[in-house]
Amino acid sequence: MKRRINVKYLSRVEGEGALIIEIRNNEVEKVDLRIFEAPRFFEPILKGRPFQDVIDFTARICGICPVAYQMSAVHAIEAAMGVSVPQPVHDLRRLMYCGEWIESHALHVHFLHGPDFFGMESAWSDRDYGHIAQRGMKLKGLGNEILALLGGRPVHPLSVRPGGFFRWPEKKELYQLLPDLEKGFDLSLECISWAVSLFEGEEEIKDTGDFMVSLHNPDSYAMNTGTVCTSEGITYSMGEFTKVIEEYQVPHSNALHTGIKTGPTPRPYMVGPLSRINMSFTSLPEKVKSTVQQGGISLPLVDIRMSIIARCIEISYALHEAINIIQGYDGIAAYVHVEPKEGKGLWITEAPRGMLIHSYEFDRKGNVVTARIIPPTSQNLAHIEKSLRNYIESNHHLSTKALRRGCEDIIRSYDPCISCSVHLIDLTEGKS
Amino acid sequence: MKKPRLGIFKLTSCDGCQLSILNLEEELLRVVELFSLSFFPVASDKELSGYFDLALIEGSISEPRQREEVISVRERSRYLITIGACATSGGLQALKNWAVLESFKKSVYPDPALIESLSTSTPVSDHVYVDFEIWGCPVTGDALSETLACFLLDKRPTIPQYSLCMECKRKAIPCILVSEGEPCLGPITRAGCGALCPSFSRACYGCFGPRDDANIDSLMRWFEKSGYSGTERQRLLDTMNTYAYRRVQIEKKD
Repeated sequence: MKRRINVKYLSRVEGEGALIIEIRNNEVEKVDLRIFEAPRFFEPILKGRPFQDVIDFTARICGICPVAYQMSAVHAIEAAMGVSVPQPVHDLRRLMYCGEWIESHALHVHFLHGPDFFGMESAWSDRDYGHIAQRGMKLKGLGNEILALLGGRPVHPLSVRPGGFFRWPEKKELYQLLPDLEKGFDLSLECISWAVSLFEGEEEIKDTGDFMVSLHNPDSYAMNTGTVCTSEGITYSMGEFTKVIEEYQVPHSNALHTGIKTGPTPRPYMVGPLSRINMSFTSLPEKVKSTVQQGGISLPLVDIRMSIIARCIEISYALHEAINIIQGYDGIAAYVHVEPKEGKGLWITEAPRGMLIHSYEFDRKGNVVTARIIPPTSQNLAHIEKSLRNYIESNHHLSTKALRRGCEDIIRSYDPCISCSVHLIDLTEGKS
Repeated sequence: MKKPRLGIFKLTSCDGCQLSILNLEEELLRVVELFSLSFFPVASDKELSGYFDLALIEGSISEPRQREEVISVRERSRYLITIGACATSGGLQALKNWAVLESFKKSVYPDPALIESLSTSTPVSDHVYVDFEIWGCPVTGDALSETLACFLLDKRPTIPQYSLCMECKRKAIPCILVSEGEPCLGPITRAGCGALCPSFSRACYGCFGPRDDANIDSLMRWFEKSGYSGTERQRLLDTMNTYAYRRVQIEKKD
């Protein structure tokens, strides 16, 4: 008997994708996550452009996580130019990233993923969900406020530049955010308990997320710095990691797939909030940890659907961290002038959806010679297909309709950003 | 009264303008009450069907399938409004209009034959009639809510057509073009962002595209005098609204 699941247009994800699954006699024959989002060719567009354009252009790869692009880009540029920036610049960048994590996660948790747990088609299709949607808006608004203050606007902020920022905020402006952020932090703890309660009485889907990778720091939750760690305990420097991964093209997708080179075929791995939580849970603040533990959740989290819990934890963490950074802010402007020069630079930061890899080569005027960008979603694609395969193999007794729903739920759990994933790719001469 | 049917469509883009709709926050919940949000796949599972009183389109046309898509949206919609630089002027990806597509494809994909892409990225108005355009990369929440409110009142939105300089003057921001010699695109660029970059001591880089009657050549002569080379001057115009700025330049020459 042959069954076919065909989702022509995946909804509640960013960008355009479709899903085709074929099952014959309870054997999965085909799992194709088709990415038909139109490519925009960012790498060739960047060629010959000055370094500031790299920050402004790559932000346009994704309207949901522009700060992530700006962060990976600015660090890679500074690495190439051999510049290190003072601590206050690092702090403000981290604050900006907190803003984006809050904004992006609050959107995903409440508007894109949340409705799945209530069998709803959207966050506004049921009045009973209204207060949850309201909470999402409130939290999302806090993230946007941080971004607007530091970057001028939440989508495609304009303040980031190599060496620092175009404008240095006044102490007073940042302090004004504190009361709302503190209220937001309490709200985010509620959010964690709510997310945990979604799984009460639910059977855990095992083995949907197994091989995880994230940045890790010994003393802080990793955002802009760290070493790359796998759930099997292997550690790489950022540079080493980009050498052990392989990108490959598959016929059904405009986005390249990525895997770690281990055997004859690259091994799929997972990046994102679930990987980060499992790797860095101990560096979370006590209040956040105890809220999670009270819910009876034990680590590691392996059910990919539980990434909604991980996102709520990270909203909470980001609010807590934002408050800390603002309280320690002295308002004294810091900026290092960056002189354009020849060089190569590579950096990885933790975008809301996972590790975002940028690597550039500049000529002596500081213009781009080569660019390579590997977004989190293209790193996840092969792993998503693997998760789907595992899920169907252990649930083939379900009706086609139920399977379809389960598959869509798994895909959404990864928070795939399809518009990002098709704009990766390589301009290095060896490959082109 | 029956609620007007609203559809929100996406072509080649970054989703940032659709996100600006979701960023309306409290106002979004009002929009959901006042309109029947009939198609918005980024936030709802509801499938495409029927006709629309108002269609908002994000994104440019860069693939063959999108030409048909945009015609189908036009045929289904009473009013069609483009939101953002991609839909209104082709977007950053329109930089491929001045390049050779095959070399672009080859530099990105190991097997370029699998990729179906047009050699150009063009605004929606190159393909179908557009009732109104909202500029910006991204569009502002204010422009969106103004447009939606005006639609309900059956009135043309009042979105500024004058230059960004007006906003700087109104906010009493010292001119960074005159005082700092920064290559600011303000004089030829449409107002609407609230002079964000100049208020961050940064030169405007043209997110909102050319204003009506922009005198680009005059500004370029100014930049030339300040020592910017031909390549540097062209790069300033070749960003998210490259197609629109270049078009103005060509039309002026005719």
